[in-house]
Formats: sequence, structure tokens, C-alpha cells
Amino acid sequence: MFEWIDVSIPTGAALYSQLLIGLINGAFYALLSLGLAIIFGLLGVINFAHGAQYMVGAFCAWALLHYAGIGYWPALLLVPLIVGGLSIIIERTLIRHTYKLDHAYSLLLTFGLLLIIEGVFRQAFGTFGQPYAMPSSLTGATNMGFMYLPNYRGWVLVASLTICLVTWYAIERTQLGSQMRAATENAKLTQALGVNVPVLMMLTYAGGVGLAALAGVMAAPIYQVSPMMGAEIIIVVFAVVVIGGMGSIMGSIVSGFALGLIEGLTKAIYPPASSLIIFVAMAIILLIRPAGLFGRSQGVPAAVSVVRGGADTSINPWLSTALLFLAIVAPFFFYPVFLMKALCFALFACSFNLVLGYGGLLSFGHTAFFGGSAYVAAHAMKVWGFPPELGILAGVATGATLGVIIGSIAIRRQGIYLAMVTMALAQMLYFVAVQAPFTGGEDGIQSVPRGMLFGFIDLNDRLTLYYVVLAIFLIGFAAFVRIITSPYGHALKAIRENEARAVSLGFRTNSFKLICFVLAGALAGLGGSTKVIVFGIASLTDVHFAMSGEVILMVLLGGLGTVLGPIFGAFAIIAMESYLQAYGAWIKVIQGVIFIVIVLVFRQGIVGEFDRIAGWGRRLMGRSPSKGVQARDASAGAHN
Amino acid sequence: MSEDNILTTEGLTKSFGGFVAVRNVDLRVRRGTIHAVIGPNGAGKTSLFNLLTKTYPPTSGRIVFDGRDITAMKPYDVARIGLVRSFQISAIFPRLTVRENVRVALQGKTDESYAFWRSGKTLRRLDARVDELLAVVDLTGFADSPAVQLPYGRKRALEIATTIALEPTLLLLDEPMAGLSRQDIARIAQLIRQLAADRTILMVEHNLSVVSDLSDRITVLSRGEVLAEGTYQEVSTMPRVQEAYIGGVHAA
Amino acid sequence: MQPEAGTAPMLCVRDLEAWYDESYVLQGIDLDVREGEVVTLLGRNGAGKSTTLKSIMGMMDRCAGTITFKGSDIRGAASHRIALAGIGYCPEERGIFSSLTVAENMILPPRFGDPALSLERIYELFPNLLARRASFGSKLSGGEQQMLAIGRLLRTGARFLLLDEPTEGLAPVIVEQIGRVILELKRAGLTILLVEQNFVFVSQMADRHYVMEDGKIVDVIANDRVQAEEGKIRKYLGV
Repeated sequence: MFEWIDVSIPTGAALYSQLLIGLINGAFYALLSLGLAIIFGLLGVINFAHGAQYMVGAFCAWALLHYAGIGYWPALLLVPLIVGGLSIIIERTLIRHTYKLDHAYSLLLTFGLLLIIEGVFRQAFGTFGQPYAMPSSLTGATNMGFMYLPNYRGWVLVASLTICLVTWYAIERTQLGSQMRAATENAKLTQALGVNVPVLMMLTYAGGVGLAALAGVMAAPIYQVSPMMGAEIIIVVFAVVVIGGMGSIMGSIVSGFALGLIEGLTKAIYPPASSLIIFVAMAIILLIRPAGLFGRSQGVPAAVSVVRGGADTSINPWLSTALLFLAIVAPFFFYPVFLMKALCFALFACSFNLVLGYGGLLSFGHTAFFGGSAYVAAHAMKVWGFPPELGILAGVATGATLGVIIGSIAIRRQGIYLAMVTMALAQMLYFVAVQAPFTGGEDGIQSVPRGMLFGFIDLNDRLTLYYVVLAIFLIGFAAFVRIITSPYGHALKAIRENEARAVSLGFRTNSFKLICFVLAGALAGLGGSTKVIVFGIASLTDVHFAMSGEVILMVLLGGLGTVLGPIFGAFAIIAMESYLQAYGAWIKVIQGVIFIVIVLVFRQGIVGEFDRIAGWGRRLMGRSPSKGVQARDASAGAHN
Repeated sequence: MSEDNILTTEGLTKSFGGFVAVRNVDLRVRRGTIHAVIGPNGAGKTSLFNLLTKTYPPTSGRIVFDGRDITAMKPYDVARIGLVRSFQISAIFPRLTVRENVRVALQGKTDESYAFWRSGKTLRRLDARVDELLAVVDLTGFADSPAVQLPYGRKRALEIATTIALEPTLLLLDEPMAGLSRQDIARIAQLIRQLAADRTILMVEHNLSVVSDLSDRITVLSRGEVLAEGTYQEVSTMPRVQEAYIGGVHAA
Repeated sequence: MQPEAGTAPMLCVRDLEAWYDESYVLQGIDLDVREGEVVTLLGRNGAGKSTTLKSIMGMMDRCAGTITFKGSDIRGAASHRIALAGIGYCPEERGIFSSLTVAENMILPPRFGDPALSLERIYELFPNLLARRASFGSKLSGGEQQMLAIGRLLRTGARFLLLDEPTEGLAPVIVEQIGRVILELKRAGLTILLVEQNFVFVSQMADRHYVMEDGKIVDVIANDRVQAEEGKIRKYLGV
């Protein structure tokens, strides 16, 4: 009865070999999530660069072999030392400054690091993989009776299990480990008892990154050494971490291996589901046990942990009029396709601004709404022959529906957990887009007809199309402004400012957050489906997590929680991508640098920063919390 | 029967691991009174307060508010039936204006808060009530400044204004005087007395001069248990209360 | 400029101010503790006693004034440096790490000098702890936690202890035991700054009492004057 999805239960060697592949993947999940867990436990930092550091480990092994003739075995020791050592520089110069800020800032900072590292390696090596030879002593395979076990894979299994257990032992049973556990529990007190916690944190970061680099060396002979290898694995690892329970050492190890195995099993039974199964497992576990399998339940939600923006609702009428005039005459001075693209992304940015800037919800997989809607709108218009207005409506409805689904799972967690959950769910959608029959795989849905709007407006005329897109943008923007100034918008801002207080005043805060996801989903859907009409295509880039990063950058750059800022941000990023195209992957590096600069220097974004200077100027004599903390942090550092 | 108790607890107990923070507490708060809970550090005042405000569930025991068993109710629902708390650290919405802070509280009672399609102007009908509340706590002059810019004592006043906006029948105040200067203490005490005119107030407070000045009845906690109950005159003269406060154990 | 050794107080605090966010908690504290003394900070809840200890340990984000320990200014130093300079700190509510066993808690603070008591002697003083060495901190009773919190400071080499309400919430028999330990430490020549509300308890071991109110020191009472000043003290602390 399952013929239609081609389910088959394999037996014997085929099953074992899939399970083996699963276990090998699981070994890498375990090593990486272990490093993430250690770093998060003590530093409170979600190290987004973890996947990139794993990739650097693999490249480092490759480079040692190619440039210095240093082989696999010495690399196993050298690479973690080199990459871990480099990470000390990163910790001292950058990450250290986020310790006293909200966790979300360290997530954004390390996301910037990821962009920089990946950009540099892509620039240097392209996206193709470099082969790395297996050590000669481990070639060949051993007959286990029921299957042939390739020796190298056997080694990886044994080695990773050993490393995990040694790490666990070091944390649970040694003096240094007990200092780490104590500092994880209460860093301030541990330091007051004489433990040099700043150095401990530095070493912990280096240790966690060293584990990632070690995993990279071990992965090099199995997978291709490519700049993309980190990005592919890190989101799966985030899902593993959410399942296991953040900060639980044993939880990371067990769930890493277990999920690898489940993935392998799924591949044997129903291959298309194998890349989804971990995310499905994550969603189910979040519904049943929000703290994760090994995590301690958090009890009462504390005040919501978010990046703080301005939550401004004022619009300067003169500025708006001038901008509107500019928008009307712009196609005569600029390339209209660029303008239309920017307008679509401006809608997307407004949507993200709504969830983060006004709702305080760090939706790190926001592109699910944008890209998911784009696919549905494209399919509706191309295959079902929907006219553009209905295509857009279908896109908006899709965005809202995704808002219900993703939102209702995500709001079970808060702050950075919410970020990881949304990211994982978005990645699930990405895999659906890669594999589903109607999405066109790598090609996407191409040559979607623009058609006639309302049956009489021909969208194939470029100038007409521009004004239609502008009108759609204005409708979406007006809706955004109405939402943030409505009674609901006021309540939402209050919840963002102080959730515990809002609860005590009688607000069912989860309902507000869910509505926020739905509205933002619809708004992103409007942008995504309009983009389909402009370009006639919905493709994997629309649902790729890099796009989620881009929209975050647009909003942060323009000014989180400001009405107009994200629109500027969208134009700036799209302009940068259009005009710097020739520089290839350096764009990623520049974006990464912008992320880091925003986190460390301009936490209010550019527009927000102007507001802050103007509005808070008179309070200069008073307290300036973030600056004060940084200054103190710096002076404390000087003592070390 | 003869007493009209707005809040009663029966055998309320909370343990954390092996540590019993609140043990078998029977509390009776009479309607229309100012009732204070006092006790030395570590007596379980904050834990008791958190149980009453539904911050966490009790290990055992019952809480009855206005004739309804609220032991299993959610905090936001409790707020809607008239039991509203304040916080020790001034719980305000820092970047909303003072006016918006109070207005949001008024909004909390209505389901209109979900109306994302409506103009914010519909909230203006609440402004008259907002102005009244601001006048009560003497914040009229600050209405349009962001709440974060208020001086510390004024923040406390703002928090109280948002709390009474819900028209609670029972107001729970968590150390309302913590961190305040002498002038602010006098002002907030005056305000509490004024609010008590038409509602019941239960407060946890360790400033004893405030407690003696304001409260009708006092419950003294020590090591998680009720040590004494009565008027200030009564409890303050009890030897066991004296001992709990200044100690009485003789070392070798 | 160095004060003469022997006559100068071991710890000297001048004009100490501290803030929690905007709340002005310490409003100019002056206090001295000489070597070998047991000095207490008395006062009601919220008077700023614990904050004074935290400021000495460098644990406050914002504070001002000078804190001199053994002749060098420690204000603004990282708190582990202050600990390693010889100050042992036992926080309010004891600060036992629940994910560490008793033995791990005991050896957590690094040892930097001649210990006041050997590990054997510490376990002798607190026999319960020896029996429960493998238990996790979260499983201890309040009294056991307090003994562990004091015990772990004694093997580090710290000869100056800051104890924050060591009798808080404890049963009388445990309070007695802790009293005996503090007296033994005093005899061993340790210097102790003690925060307490239990006045009867501290009057048996202290040399002087500083009384705090609203973030200020409002009175200093020598221990031999407590009988005479009892009425005043009751007014400061009592109900």
C-alpha cells in the first residue's frame, strides 16, 4: 500500500551500509554538537562559526599535506592546535565583547565570522571540493561477516567515540572540568573564589573549536574538502543540539550518534525523507519536551531574550513624501529591475523587522516565508495558470500558513533557542524544495509568465511592472505601519519590552507572538511572490539560509525597530550585491564585516544610531549601560 | 464565616530538591486590609510570594482567591480576575512612554489588543482613564517621556499605576520600598495608603517602619513557616519574633 | 606613602559607593578591619551589607571609592586576583555548586598559600562532609552547604574571610556548630568580616560591629559596649 511513496525495507548489506553511513555522520554531529555545547555552556555563545571552523580544520589538513607534506596523523594533532590557537585571537578580539550582552548578539557576531571565513575560502578555492587522500594504513576494508567495513570509517567511529568520551571524562572528572562546570553554573562566584574565569572561557572556546577542527581533519578523507562543507552540516547540528538539550554534554554525544543512525535508517527505508528526518524529530521533540531530551526544563519563562531595537513608530511626513517622489521618478534614473528587486526585499525586510524589531522574536529562518511563498506563487501562476493577482494572493496565504506552522513550534522556545528552531525549520523547507516533485530541484521553477494584472494591465511592460511593484510595496508597507501602530502593535511592543510584566498584566503573550509570525509570514509572502513576477523564477536561493542571513543584515544595517530603516538597509544590500558582483565571494566577506561592526559598534543600526544620538544626547551625563559595560570589560581584560 | 477573606491558602508548601522553602503555610488575608508578610532573610517570603502570583506551582496545598481555587490557574488569567502583582525591580516597559505604559495595562483587559487591523487612534478613548491614573501616582508631568528616563522612585510609581489600571481587587506588592530613597518611601507609602481605600493589599516588605506604619495585619515567616500573625503591636512584642530577627542562639 | 606594617588595618575601605542599575546601594562606606579581628556588619535587609562584601570582591559592575588590602589598592581588580591576594569569600545562600560533588566543591578554589587548615582538619571539623564527599551539592542540607562553603575557603591559604550571613535559615544546633568553627578560626589568627542579622550569635565572637542603614554606616559599637548599647542595637535591628 506504500508503492506510491516507494517505501521498501532493505535487508542485509544494504541496510548495514546505510546504518554505517548514518553512524559516521552521527560521529561528526556528535563531535560538532559537543563543541557547541561546551562553548555555549560556559560562554553563553552560540558559535555559528562552528561549521566554518570545521571546514577550516579540513582545509588546514589539506594545506599541510599539499604545501608542507605533513600527513594525516600529524595533522590530527597539529590542526586542532592551529585552528584552536587562531580561535583564541578571535575570542580575545571579538567574541569577548559579547559576554555581557544578550546571547543573540554573539549569534549575530559569529554568523558574521562564518560569512567572512566562508567568503575567504570560496574566493581562494571556489566551491569545488579538494580531494584528500586517506592515510595508507587505513585503506581497504574488513569483512565483518555481515558486511564489509571500510577501515577508515571504522577508525572514524572508534576515534570519535573515544574523543567524545575523553571530553566527557575531562569535564566530569577532572579539576579543570569541575572549574568549567562551576563557572557554567555561576561564573561570577567561581571567579571570586580565585578561578581565572576569563582564561577558562578563552581555553574553552579554543577547546570547542579545536574539536570542530579535529572533526574537520577526520572528515577530509571521507567528504570533499570544500568551503561549503561547514554550512551544510551546521544547521543539522543546531537541530541535534536543540533535540539533545542545549548545554548538555552527554545529550550532545548521545543525540549526535542517535540522530545519525536514524538518518541512515531513513535513508535505507525512504531515501527522500532522510535529509528531513532530523528536523521532523526536532519539531516533534519540541512539542513534547520543549527543553530537549537531556535538557533541564526551564520552568518559568524569564524576560524574553532578544536583540533590542528602537520600536519606533514615527514617520517623518516630509521624508516620506520626498521618498515617495523619489520612488516615482527613480526608474528614469536607475535600472528598474534593480529597483524592483530592492522593493521586494524591502517588503521582506519589513516582515523581519516586524518579528524582531517589534515582536522581539529572532526568527533566524525567515527566508522560509519568503521562499516558500515564492515557490507556491510560481507554481500557481505557471502550472495552474493563476493570474498575477491570485498568484500573489496564493503567496501571501502560503506565507501566513507557514507563519502558523513555524510560529506555533518556534514560540515554545525563546531567544536564541527560537533562533535555532526557526533556522532548522527553514532548512527543512529547503530540503523539501530540493526534493519535492513540483519545485524543479536545482533549477527551481523557471519562466513563470507575468501575465495581465486584473486581466488588463500588461506586466510585460517594464515601466508598468515597476509601478505595479511600487504599488504592491506601498500596500505592504502601509499594512506594516498599520500593524505596528494598531492596538495589537502597542501590546506587542510591550511584550517585547518586558514579557514577564506583560503576563502579569493579563496578556496571553504566546498568542501575540503567534499572530506576529503569521502577519510577518504574510508580509514576507507578499515580497516573495512579487519577486517571482519580477524575475519569473523561484529557486533554491530563495529558501537557502544565506537569504535569512541577508534579511537580518538588511534590517540590522538599516536600523532594527525603525519604520524606514530596513527599507534603506534592503536598498543598500541589494545595491552592494548588484554593483559589487564582480568581486564574487568578497561580498560575503564584506557582509560578515558589516555584521561584526554592527554588533560591536552600532547595535542600533545606522538609522537607529542617529535616533539614539539625537534622542539620548541629553542623557549623556547619565548612565550609558552598554558603553559602561564595554569600558569595564576592557579594563578587566587589561588585568589579565 | 464571620471573616471575609479575599485570599486564603491551605497547607501551602514548596520544596526545591531537598530544601523546603515554604512549609505548610495557612494564610488568610481579610478583604479591605493591608496585610504584610515579613521575616528575616531566607524566611521564604519571596517563595511564598511567587506561589501566590503563580510564578511556580506549589508542591502541595491550595490557594483560594475570592472563592475560586486558583492553584492551577495561569498567571495571565489570574491577572484578569483581579489578582495583580508588582515586581521588586521596577517592572515597566522601558522604551514606551509613561502614557503608553499605562495604556497598555488598560488594553490588557480587553481582547481588542489582538486588533492588528485597527488604527492606534482607537486607543485614544483610554486616554482619559490614563490621565486619571497618572494623576493618582503624580506622574502627569512625565506622561510623554520614555519610561526609562524616569527617576527610580517614579518608575516604582509608574509600575503601581499600571498595576491598578487593571482594577485589581487584590494587589500583591513585592518589596515596594526596595532601593528607594527616604523621600520616595514616604511618597510610595502615601500612595499605598491611598490605594488601600478600595482594595486589599498584600505586601512582602522588609522595611519595618513602613510595615508598622501601613499594615493592618502582619504574618511573620521564619524558615518557611508561619511564626506569628497579628497586628504590629502584637507580633513585635512576641519573644519568638524578636529572636527570629536578632537571633538568640548561644554558641559554645 | 605605604602605611606602616603592623599598625595599618589589613582591609581599609574609604568612600565606597555602589549601584545596581540606577539603584544607589552603597552611599559612601568607610570601614577598617585589622589583622586577627572579627568584625561584623549588622543591619536590616537591604541596608547594603552584602553589596559591601561583593564590592570588596570586585563583583559589582559599578562602584567607586578605594579598597586597600594589605597596602595595595584592589578596587577595580578582577575578582580572581582579589581572591588570590588572600581574601576568601562565602556568599549569601552559600554558593555551593549543585553540579559539583562535595569533594569537587571543596577543591574548586585554587590553593595559593599556606592553608589555614589542612583538608584533613577541615573534614575533621565537618564530619558530615567527609561522609557525603561523593554527593552533589544540590543534595546537601543547608547546614552541610554552609560548612562546605566555609570549609572550601580554608584550604586555599586565604587568611581573611568575608562571610555573608552564615547562619541564615539554619537550625539552632547548626548555628552553634558554625559559631564554634568561627571561634576556632579566630584563635588560629584569621581575620573575618562577617555580615549577620543574628546579633546574639555574633556578639559571642566579634570585636567590633558596624551598623548599616540605607547604604551607609550609621554606628560602630565595640563588642564590650554591647551590653550597654543593647537598647540601641535592638532599635537598629529589631522589630
